[in-house]
Amino acid sequence: MSHVAQSTEFSRRSFLKLSAVSAASLSVLSLSASLTGCSNDPASNGFLVLRSDDILCLSAILPVLYSGAVAAEQMNSNLHSTLRAIDNSLASFSPEMRKLTVQLFDVLNNPLTRGPLTGVWGAWSQASSADVQQFLKRWENSRFDLLKMGHNALLQLAMLAHYGQPSSWQHCGYPGPPVLQ
Amino acid sequence: MPIADPFLQGIASGWQVQNASLLENDLQLEADVVIVGSGAGGATSAELLSAAGLRVLIVEEGPLRTSTDFKMQEPQAYADLYQEGMGRMSKDGAITIMQGRAVGGTTLINWTSSFRTPPETLKHWASEHAVSGLDKDTLQPWFERMEQRLGVAPWSMPANANNEVIKRGCEALDLSWAVIPRNVRGCMNLGYCGMGCPVNAKQSMLVTCIPASLNNGGSLLYLARAERLQMTQNRVQHLECQALDARGVEPTGRKIIIRAKHYILAGGGINTPAILLRSQAPDPHKRCGKRTFLHLTNFSAAQFSEPVNPFYGAPQSIYSDHFQWLNGAKGPLGYKLEVPPLHPAFAATILGGYGEVNAERMAQLPNTHMMIALMRDGFHPDSASGTVELRSDGSPVLDYQMTPYTWNGIRRAYHNMAEIQFAAGAERVFPVHADADYVTSLNRAKSLIDNLDLSLYRARLGSAHVMGGCAISDDASQGVTNSLGMHHQLENLSIHDGSLFPTSIGANPQLSIYALCALLTEQLIKRLAA
Repeated sequence: MSHVAQSTEFSRRSFLKLSAVSAASLSVLSLSASLTGCSNDPASNGFLVLRSDDILCLSAILPVLYSGAVAAEQMNSNLHSTLRAIDNSLASFSPEMRKLTVQLFDVLNNPLTRGPLTGVWGAWSQASSADVQQFLKRWENSRFDLLKMGHNALLQLAMLAHYGQPSSWQHCGYPGPPVLQ
Repeated sequence: MPIADPFLQGIASGWQVQNASLLENDLQLEADVVIVGSGAGGATSAELLSAAGLRVLIVEEGPLRTSTDFKMQEPQAYADLYQEGMGRMSKDGAITIMQGRAVGGTTLINWTSSFRTPPETLKHWASEHAVSGLDKDTLQPWFERMEQRLGVAPWSMPANANNEVIKRGCEALDLSWAVIPRNVRGCMNLGYCGMGCPVNAKQSMLVTCIPASLNNGGSLLYLARAERLQMTQNRVQHLECQALDARGVEPTGRKIIIRAKHYILAGGGINTPAILLRSQAPDPHKRCGKRTFLHLTNFSAAQFSEPVNPFYGAPQSIYSDHFQWLNGAKGPLGYKLEVPPLHPAFAATILGGYGEVNAERMAQLPNTHMMIALMRDGFHPDSASGTVELRSDGSPVLDYQMTPYTWNGIRRAYHNMAEIQFAAGAERVFPVHADADYVTSLNRAKSLIDNLDLSLYRARLGSAHVMGGCAISDDASQGVTNSLGMHHQLENLSIHDGSLFPTSIGANPQLSIYALCALLTEQLIKRLAA
């Protein structure tokens, strides 16, 4: 069934001539993304790794990932703690895995790569849930391993961060660890 | 503090334990034997060497965390106790590799399953990989010794509901199953073995062999990464280490030089070959890092009408080897069936999807059971296999290449797991794959599985057992060490860890590492005394 998904996906965006990108590695993409300087930005105030662009991007993506698990009125306060949790995770990654993840954000943030690769042509803050869902579907079913890898990495980071927090446990019926006497 | 923390008490009593992240200057150290790595292989070796009167220094890359720190919280455990902060993956990012990184190594965070090396595996090594002196009878006293040392015994309490599914399903289908031996003493059946045992019941290296070495004059340096061995001709001259910051992530710039009569690498699969690769150690047959195996694991979830509470209780207590040796060691791929514990963060990443789909799966967590199949990789020439490579910064990454033979094992395992789950009374089964979801009958599951596109990123894959990469073989063209664990080219260097295995084990590997390394260390002590 993924073959079907892949072919519709590919025809939809074939005009983007992405074959030129197929040989490129994430670091090459990231290099082009960083030519405008975004990957050299320091971490946002109070964060160890995440930069302000990363936070904007995640603030658009995370509510879509958590819809159904977090009530709409709690999404904003949830977002704040989840961004912290993601940041803490990244700070414990090996330097190389952290670099790869930062490069992934470069690709998502830079307009040169974001538009063609995600289909989100405007700023993340303007992206609708439908735009984000489209992007996630597109990467999950991409013919490029790099984008599938990016999809995996993003989901893994987001899910670990969310369900690591006690505020998420009511939804999944987890009473938490036992209290030791 | 109601729960005793024997490690902190030991430090208070004067153990020689040093935190390299606090070093203000470079450091030079000497020992009779320096051991890189404090996990199953390194710590077992350290205890015996210290008891024999040798001055032992254990070097550990990870931080020191003890029972006082173990709060049964996933984020903290993953960040502190796992390689690359739980970010370790195969090179293509498709396989998550769970491996420990702290004082005690993977023994700190494993799920306590303690199996003897299957006799079929030992026979295969002797006949196919020129391994000598490691037959079942020779190893038996070493298994017995380590089982006694670490309190290994079949789990005597009732299995939790998650494990019980294997027993019930196998009995209904007339398949074999058995109780898992665990290395625990006074276990409270909590279910948090993977986050560090908060009550010191798990007989990990942190509470057994490392304290024994330290009580006998051994010393421990942690947050120090073994960077490279300096060699002249056929001998190691010294070991260079880098001090790491408190998170164990970035080097602080302080260097440690360690000189010893003998050097033991025990960093485990991936990390031990990486030290040799960084050192450009002699490797005339290009064996270092090759044939690294994972017990590659796929997943099958099932929902039951009754609560399973898969987050509580001894994580692994029942297994089935029914499909392990059906066609001999070299036939179609065999696998072991077990269950993982399901805490929320881990469960959410395994169950996959996002938004409503993931939320719905997670809402059912208390009624969810998960089964895993551990592929016995490395026995057949067509098996998937991994190669350790160095990234530009010198850190290692595993390039694990899948094969049709291995995908065939994955597909059969999806079938068998669904059969057992429905036979155990599951209402719905989900072969964990991006194109699959829960289905309500075995027939639907079978046609779903037959049509799954088995490819990377779509089938959810993981590993908790890295083995091989510095294989034992008396034939120097096949291995990195001989059957005594001695490096073929460097006379004062041994390897004592899971990287020695010429294939995967076909069982959770900790007891194989303990027994093999205890035997190799006794032989080493005799050589050093001669």
